[in-house]
Amino acid sequence: MDIPRVAGCIPGVEEIRPLDDSAYRGMLRVQVGPIRLALAGTITVEEQDRNAWRASMRAEASDRKAGGGVRARMTVALLPAEGGTELVVETDLSVLGKIGEFGQPIIRKKADTTMQEFAANLRAALGV
Amino acid sequence: MIAFDYRSPESLAEALAALDEAGDEGKAIAGGTALVILMMQRLVRPGRLVSLRRVPGLDRIEPADGEVRIGALATHRDVETSPVIRERFPVLAETFRHVATLRIRNIATVGGSLAHADPNQDPPVTLMALGARVRIAGPGGERRLPLDEFFVEYYQTALRQNELVVGLELPFPAPGSGSAFIKFLPRTADDYATVAVTANLTLNPDGACREARIALGSVGPTTLRAREVEALLTGERLTEPLLTAAGEAARRAVDPIADQRGSAEYKREMTGVFVRRAIRSAWARARGAGA
Repeated sequence: MDIPRVAGCIPGVEEIRPLDDSAYRGMLRVQVGPIRLALAGTITVEEQDRNAWRASMRAEASDRKAGGGVRARMTVALLPAEGGTELVVETDLSVLGKIGEFGQPIIRKKADTTMQEFAANLRAALGV
Repeated sequence: MIAFDYRSPESLAEALAALDEAGDEGKAIAGGTALVILMMQRLVRPGRLVSLRRVPGLDRIEPADGEVRIGALATHRDVETSPVIRERFPVLAETFRHVATLRIRNIATVGGSLAHADPNQDPPVTLMALGARVRIAGPGGERRLPLDEFFVEYYQTALRQNELVVGLELPFPAPGSGSAFIKFLPRTADDYATVAVTANLTLNPDGACREARIALGSVGPTTLRAREVEALLTGERLTEPLLTAAGEAARRAVDPIADQRGSAEYKREMTGVFVRRAIRSAWARARGAGA
């Protein structure tokens, strides 16, 4: 499980650096209309099953200027399926602080499109 | 404290130049009722604010050539109380009256409201149903866009970074037209709508619908037209089955977001209810206005 490569499939992710064996620091830039967020934080791998090609990650990031952040848990798995392989991505996202007050629903919609793009990028990178 | 460059140009040309020069860092400000809140929450941090307060000539509301022209710097209160709007577009005056509070309506401008592109706002719903066109100025000159094409996404419009909304054009209603605006707001009176609808219908002398424009607010990423509903009504006479079908089509047209004003399912359900009511009301008015 190459975390930098997987995380690099999330649109807006920059500067992934390893902190230790299972944790990485990174930056996620997100834009909703005139609002631009620079979410700096960490991604930690919680479980990895190399044989089954499945991993779960936890991420926490905040925007220093806007005073809010996101917390997410994500599982990514490759499953055999008819005609090939199926990529399953599950995300549980919480929006915290000021960003949340302004538009939880908007952020949620943005998270939806971001995750869809992530899945498409990951599929392309994996060749499935 | 957040530092930013502040310009207060005294002409449209100066304002456009100041914006153009600032590129991505520039943001125009008129009344500021939306922008200042976003800035106070540190969600928007422009490097340069270009105030339009002193730009002359953009606050007029005047009839000309079969339409009404509303300047971008006219306030919500200006439109609400304008004699020509009250006479020729009473539903528009009524719509503006529903916005927030008087204190906000005194300051917030029509152009600012459009540029902010919050789908929860009321005026764009009626403006869209009335067939408004937006006048946009940029370094290269002016262009016009139907309001339907102006809103792109949440808080995003077809404006380029160096462009400004300078006005709106509203064609006078055709004979046999009637419109109705309904703002469903189950919480406080100064709130945004849970669902907002404006139905604008034009009837033939024989009573069938010649043209329908139905606009919806607060139920999608932008103010939107319910085109399937419009197609259902066109050419038809008003019947209960038609209204039922219209309500169902309206529910299919929307993609509401769950928030403190209601669940997505609730808003979808209410869209059906209030589209039916708005159509019924607009039809009655159109019949009364027959040529």
